[in-house]
Amino acid sequence: MSRASDMFHRPIVTSILLTLLCAGTIQAQKVLRWGADPSGGAPYVFNDPNHPDQYIGYEKEMVDVLAAAMGRKAEFVPSDWETLVSALRRNSFDVIVNGLEPTADRQKQIQFSKPYYIFQLALTVRSDEQQIHSLADCKKRVVGTLGNTAASRLLQKEGIPMKAYADPVAAYEDLKLGRIDAVIMDVPAEVFYVSKDPKVKRASEPFFRGTYNIGLRKGDDQLKTEVDSAIDKIVNDGSLEQILRKWGLWNDAQIELKTKNNAGQPPQSESAGYDITSISFNWREAIWRLTRAAVVTVLIAFGSMAIAVVLGMPLAIGQWKGPRPVQWLCTIYVEFFRGTPVLVQLLFLYFGLPTIGLAMPGWLTALTGLGLNYAAYESQVYRAALEAIPRGQWEASYLLGMSPVLAFRRIILPQAFRIALPPMTNDFVSLFKDTSVAYAISVWELATAYRELANASGQFLLLGAAVSIFYLIMSLPMAHLARRLERRLQRREAIEAVESEIV
Amino acid sequence: MNQFSMIRVTNLVKNANGARILNGVTFEVQPQTVMGIIGASGSGKTTLLRCLNGLERIDGGKIECADVVLEKTLSRHEYARRVTELRRKVGTVFQHLYLFPHLTVLGNIIEAPTHVQRVPRKQAANEASQLLESVGLKEKAHRYPERLSGGEQQRVAIARALAMHPELLMFDEPTSALDPKRSAGLRSLLRGFVARGHTMVIVSHSIGFLEGLADNLLYMEQGEVVEQGKAEQLLNAPQDPRTKDFMAQAK
Repeated sequence: MSRASDMFHRPIVTSILLTLLCAGTIQAQKVLRWGADPSGGAPYVFNDPNHPDQYIGYEKEMVDVLAAAMGRKAEFVPSDWETLVSALRRNSFDVIVNGLEPTADRQKQIQFSKPYYIFQLALTVRSDEQQIHSLADCKKRVVGTLGNTAASRLLQKEGIPMKAYADPVAAYEDLKLGRIDAVIMDVPAEVFYVSKDPKVKRASEPFFRGTYNIGLRKGDDQLKTEVDSAIDKIVNDGSLEQILRKWGLWNDAQIELKTKNNAGQPPQSESAGYDITSISFNWREAIWRLTRAAVVTVLIAFGSMAIAVVLGMPLAIGQWKGPRPVQWLCTIYVEFFRGTPVLVQLLFLYFGLPTIGLAMPGWLTALTGLGLNYAAYESQVYRAALEAIPRGQWEASYLLGMSPVLAFRRIILPQAFRIALPPMTNDFVSLFKDTSVAYAISVWELATAYRELANASGQFLLLGAAVSIFYLIMSLPMAHLARRLERRLQRREAIEAVESEIV
Repeated sequence: MNQFSMIRVTNLVKNANGARILNGVTFEVQPQTVMGIIGASGSGKTTLLRCLNGLERIDGGKIECADVVLEKTLSRHEYARRVTELRRKVGTVFQHLYLFPHLTVLGNIIEAPTHVQRVPRKQAANEASQLLESVGLKEKAHRYPERLSGGEQQRVAIARALAMHPELLMFDEPTSALDPKRSAGLRSLLRGFVARGHTMVIVSHSIGFLEGLADNLLYMEQGEVVEQGKAEQLLNAPQDPRTKDFMAQAK
């Protein structure tokens, strides 16, 4: 559908939907819209593997009970962990229920209900690991965790090298593949994902203590009162305990919720001590981290362009002049890489290849993946450029006694290069921006840096401007360089033109 | 027949896309003579030239050219090997010239000598400037081809072919891009090369250009040789009525 017709239809569709929704809510009960990230979200809320169109999880069950206690109907809004807080503020849903810790920086933006769960952190290492017995042993190792969690802040505060992931599966996969040395994760996730995995073990008993609370918009005080009393109700009548036991998440610590909540005093939480904002957002630190991310971005861009430029040539020649089977193979390669999203290709390389024993680090995966992908595009640029050279140029070369290889190298290629240069420059600039897909495999490049820093600080606008400037600082000189190269190829002829006019 | 023919073509056959383009073409060219091949468009004269320099593989008959023999029965590999050998002795100037646009005039001329014959660059450049002088383009050695006039470009193409020291020079429609004055200039230039011992085959539909340049003429129609002989004879007293018609129209 074109954009114009899209705009045309949208008001109609929206009004129909609104009418339906209003009719529904007036007749039935009120709705409690809750947001959470179901991707890699077990055991909180996730897609039922047996019924992929349904969501399950202990928090899903809890919200159903909670909403019932409030006389409402729970409605789940799938969202994205990193942007939950901003989505709540944008009114995408009424509450966040996603194992959210009430950190001080979040408390600046939203408010929190009473706690409904007391969690601890588990440090997981490979089964053969001998040296790591506590977080203190990780000072010179890389520890993986979810970005923007109590655990990630703990690592930052302790000065432990950290790799932030978007979901627990990726972190545990990388641990097993040796890409990182340990994973620190909330116990519920750890229990669900790796408690039965023989390849990994707990490095120590669970430690640290924090609470999960429900996030609400500031000013929604009426709703907060409703939610708080509903939490009291399901804690005291045992329905929450029942759910937690079912999911293997019950422990004696939870009893505190009953007593302390009832005493009107929230249980002790250690998380407050580890808020990034208690250190306050540090611009110098942010710029330094952005600079490091920029270096990674440049490395990936140049490395993958080098692969693409070199590999594109045999592909182009194979598809153009090769024997039939080679032509087919090259065409299959090109169509595969052009016809599937680069994001999918990266995920495949990162998580798929290790199953055949090839586990590359993230930056190398991104570099290789983008290189292979862009090679397909470059090959088509080359092929078009080569085909644009008249057959007479080949024949003239042959008649001067040149071999096909010599003719190609000395006569055809230099002419084709001039034709190919402008589209190659374009591709390089877009490749440069495409490095941002490396976010999907947790490579700390500019786009990842932006998301994580901005989510931690709420500084979307200023950081966005800073990141854009970083991209421009890098891409503008490149475009300039390419233009100069193009001009230099034509300059001699331009001088000629002037000369011949004088003569 | 003369033992020392530069070219001897016997019963040459060439097919393309199921059609017969050349049908039993037979002729000879003696050393240091000029053979003019004339005929209307589509008569097969350009294809004949492309067979002579090995750009097209023949489908029958035989080509003996500068001591190289090409026959249909040769294996692909052997045919290619002989064509390579043949091209060392034959220089071709195309109708569309196909100068190398990314190289200067000098670069165009020394490209093959330096990379195919491995002549030292300096020596090749010296020879090239002599050649350029002989075609009157010495001052334009460092220009790029697209900045030259059509006639100048053609002389570059001639110099480029001559730089490989061919025994035989072949031209396809050399006057198609030239005005009458430039045609006359080209004719006197080529005459000079004949005087210095070159053999030439010139495909052209312009009889005026060949008059006084070609020693022998060959008139083709629909892939067959209608008439051949001394130039004066074909020009002044053609025997075949078809030749007569063509000459009358051309004049």
